[in-house]
This record gives sequence, C-alpha cells and structure tokens, in this order.
Amino acid sequence: MSTAQRPSADDPRILLDQEAGVFEPVPPYPPRTEREAEFYTLGDGQMFLNMGPQHPSTHGVLRVVLKIDGENVVDLDPVLGYLHRGVEKLAENADYHQVISQVDPLEYVSSLFNEWGAVLSFEKLLDVEVPRRAEYIRVLSAELNRIASHALFMGWMALDLGGLTPILWSFIERDEIVEMLASLTGQRMLFNYFRIGGVNGDLNHDFMSRLGNWMSRATEQIEASQGLLNENEIFVRRMRGLGPIDTKTALRMCFTGPNLRATGVPFDIRRAHPYSVYPELDFDIPTRVEGDCLARYLLRVDEVKQSLRIIDQCLHQMPDGPVMAKLPRLLRPRPGRAYSAVESPRGQYATYVVSDGTDQPFRMRIHDPSYIHLQSVGLLMQGNLIADTMAIMASLDPIMGGVDK
Amino acid sequence: MDRRFKARLEAQFGDRLSGPVRQRHDQTEIRIRPGDVVPVMTELHDNPIFRFEFLADLAGVDTGEVMQAVYHLWSDTTPDWLRVIADGLSRDDPRVPSVTFLWPGAEWMEREAYDMFGMIFEGNRDLRRIYMPPEYTSFPLRKDFTLPDDAARSPGGGFRHMEQTHIPANTPNTVRRLPGSRQLPSVK
Repeated sequence: MSTAQRPSADDPRILLDQEAGVFEPVPPYPPRTEREAEFYTLGDGQMFLNMGPQHPSTHGVLRVVLKIDGENVVDLDPVLGYLHRGVEKLAENADYHQVISQVDPLEYVSSLFNEWGAVLSFEKLLDVEVPRRAEYIRVLSAELNRIASHALFMGWMALDLGGLTPILWSFIERDEIVEMLASLTGQRMLFNYFRIGGVNGDLNHDFMSRLGNWMSRATEQIEASQGLLNENEIFVRRMRGLGPIDTKTALRMCFTGPNLRATGVPFDIRRAHPYSVYPELDFDIPTRVEGDCLARYLLRVDEVKQSLRIIDQCLHQMPDGPVMAKLPRLLRPRPGRAYSAVESPRGQYATYVVSDGTDQPFRMRIHDPSYIHLQSVGLLMQGNLIADTMAIMASLDPIMGGVDK
Repeated sequence: MDRRFKARLEAQFGDRLSGPVRQRHDQTEIRIRPGDVVPVMTELHDNPIFRFEFLADLAGVDTGEVMQAVYHLWSDTTPDWLRVIADGLSRDDPRVPSVTFLWPGAEWMEREAYDMFGMIFEGNRDLRRIYMPPEYTSFPLRKDFTLPDDAARSPGGGFRHMEQTHIPANTPNTVRRLPGSRQLPSVK
C-alpha cells in the first residue's frame, strides 16, 4: 500500500472500525504516591465506578473515579487535564495587552473577572491610575456578569438534580444580560473588554436602553424565577443538610467566595481587600451558617440582589470623563512583582505577575477558585449516595475551563 | 502600605529573613530560606499578632537560575497582602517542605507546582501530576522549556519541538523528533 492510500492516524474512519473499548478506572501503571496506592486498593465489598470525562453533570470535561460501597461513595479521585491549554505558558509568550484575551476563556461564564484580575495586576506593575469613569464601567459590567453567572448556576444546579424548567427560565435572564454586554463589548461571552488603564469603549445608547429596560423589571423577574426552586419542596428537602462543611475546615481547604460565606465567614475581597471603587458603594455581604448545599444555593440568590443594588448605584454615581488612561502602545514595566485578587462569582480569582523589564510577563500565575473548590468534593462526598455527587459538585459551582487552565 | 506591619515582621523573623522586607502598593514581601518554611508559616498562622489563617495562593516560579515557592497570605490584622518567597531552591533538585499540615487545601496547588516545575513538596501525601498525562516527563513552565514561537525572539534559535527543549537527565530517549528540529538526526 502506498503512502497516499494509507488512511492517516487522524482519520475518524479508523475509530469507526475499532471495537468499543472498556474504560478501566484503575490506571495501568504502579501507584505514584501513598494516596494513589491507598485509593486504588479496594476494601471488602467495594468497587470502582468511572464517571466522565463526558458526563453531563461535570460541567465540562472532568473525570471522577468513585470508590463505592453499595450505593455509598467511600472516596473519589478527580482526574483533570482534559481542558488544559497552558494559559500561564502562553502568557509568558505574549505581550501584556495580548494576555487579556488569553485569560478570557478560563472561567468562560464570567470572563470579565478573569480580565479584571489580569489588568489589575498589570496596572499595579505599571503604576497606572485608571480614570474614575472607567472604574465605574468596570464595576457595572462585572456585576452584570456576576448576575449572568449566578443565573446560570441556579439553572445548572436544578438541571443536575433532574429539573429542566429552571435552566430555561434562568437562560431568559442570562440571555438578556449577555446580549446587553454584547452591545457594550462586542462579544457575548469572551468579551476582551478591559484594557490596561481603562476599558475599550464608553457606554453606548443601545446598552443603556437595554439596561434601563431590564433593570425596571429585573427584581420582579428574578424573584419569580427563584420561587420556582426556593418554594419547591423536593428541591429544598434534597439540598438541606447535604455536603456540609464547617468554617474551620473551609478555611483550611482554602475556600473563598460564596462557598466560604455559606459557612458563616463574611469574607469578600470587595470588602476584605478593596479594589476599584467598591469602597464608595453601599452593599451587604450575605452570609449563612449552615454550610450545606442549600446554603450555598441561597447565598448566591442573595448575592444577585446585592449586585442589583451595586448596578443601581453605579448608574446614579457614574462620573463623566475619559475611559482610558494615556499609555504608550508598548508597555515595559519595571522589574518587580504584583499580586491582585478580585471577587469573582466563584471566589477569589487572583493573578501574580513577575516582570523582568521586557514587554512580556516573565511569569504569570493564575489562581482560580474553581480549582481550589473542586479538590474538596471528595471531602464533602464521603458517605453520601452516588446520586448526590452531582448535587454537591454543582453546589460548589466549578467551571472546568478555569480548573484546567 | 502598612509600615507597622513591616516592623512587626522584622521584629519577629529578624534572623530568618534572607532579604529586606519590601513593600509596594498593597503588598508586603518577605524572603526566607526553603528550610524555614515550616517555622515561619506556623508562626504566621498561629501567632495572634499575625493570624494569617487564609492561604490565598501558592505559586512556583523559575527565575532561570533558582526556583522559588511563593505564598500569598491574607489576614485581618493588616490591610496588605503578605507575600512569602521561599527563595533559592536548586533547579536540579528543587525541594521545599509542604504546607498541607496547615492548609490541606494547598495539596492541589502543590501538585500543580510539581507538575509544572518539578518542585518536590516534602510531606505532601499526593504529589503526582495533575494536568499533564502520567507518562509525561518534562516540566512545561520551566524557563528552559521553550515554545516554538520563541524562534522569532532568539536569533539562531531555530525551530524546536516544545517537549524536546527540556528533557530531564534520566529520561529514556523516546521523545519523537519533529522535522525542522535542530537536533534532528539525519534520516534516510
């Protein structure tokens, strides 16, 4: 057979002819660590169950190996890396402006926060002062993005429990916001809107009229769609007391964001370590003490209401002025280090940048809250039923784009 | 910048600091030797005048000459972020004690630093690769692991296959060589 006739290794017809493979949960190599050896040793009456990487409730491509005893989960081992793109390495090979578009797809349901983390640390490196109008536009658009993200969370969570209606309802709100942001930024999901020293483009008439229309009925509509779940006996009974975590463990597991606040700690980067114009805005930090799935869900409901308050204040206090600081095209910050954190819908999204004086970051570390929360799934899961795996995982709200970087 | 915090740090860790305490914007930075990670972090976590109960971030850094483990901590006793740099890890055998005894949540952050830099965190119970496949041998975020794009930046560098640029000494020579590579042996 000549080379031209031989099918290439990438030819999908080869896969069609192959027999279906059986997925072995146990890795085909000797254990690398004590923990791996312990996990992959079966006790009496136990078995492994492979879930993923294409399981609908894993919110992306996550593979989880469950060790089960009957229907109870004894332990689990998440296997990551299916979405790994090496964003940190790519950032070292791009200049400071290009990095903004590369961090966009990390937490793809709340992209503005990824951009914000990056530009905030670059601005610290460069000692740039951002115009006040730009800061207000950042807060306004980011809080809209937070509502869109939480709306998606509520729908997803119900979907993972088998309820189809809430996700259709929450997509009404989310689509409205996403279209609104598209008229502001030009994109529906991966906005690429924040710039070092400001934002790309001022508020326009289309965005303002959409926002005005939506704000006049937002509170009412969000409450209506929340009634669907909050007053649903099946949902509330299923979620109450499921996957609880106490304050001390949550702190030791490095929890942040709504998942930490659901255990009673009022830790919010917007107040604990203020950035942008948040000190000038009036809003509360909702907390709950139960630390279970229901608390994590209800806390996000409360956060949406606070975000609406912030948006309202932004619209009333919006100053006039430029939206970009005057900066050269080619940025060469002095050698140094900068750390910045923003409160994303999932928790602390942090960026650590090291500059060596060239126009590219020497090292850029991205700390993603989804990654941190996902490692505690095994802790929350022990002793629960397999069916609760999805509920607990959904209540932590991980986004695999951010987990795998 | 919290000047009094700097004074407190200097008073507490005077002999353990391997460099001056630096402050810029909202960050305070101390440098310690890798051997001092356990006592310094325990002191920062337990001492009521510091009370750093929250580990914000753990990052590996390769400066090209040495490796660093960089910790970011938050506490309500100071408005600053505290950055602790465990400096001077050797690039051939970077070893640093694990902080999972204080924060079990650091386990995956240490796994990531191991996966990307090959840093060994002594005491971490589960130090295995997390993003890259288990049979992978390189450490992608090291500075001697270069991307093909770098060819444009280094005259005479030529095109090199990514994984070929950084191969640890004990690796069997099974890495596939790509056409166009500088190290390509002559193939019939």
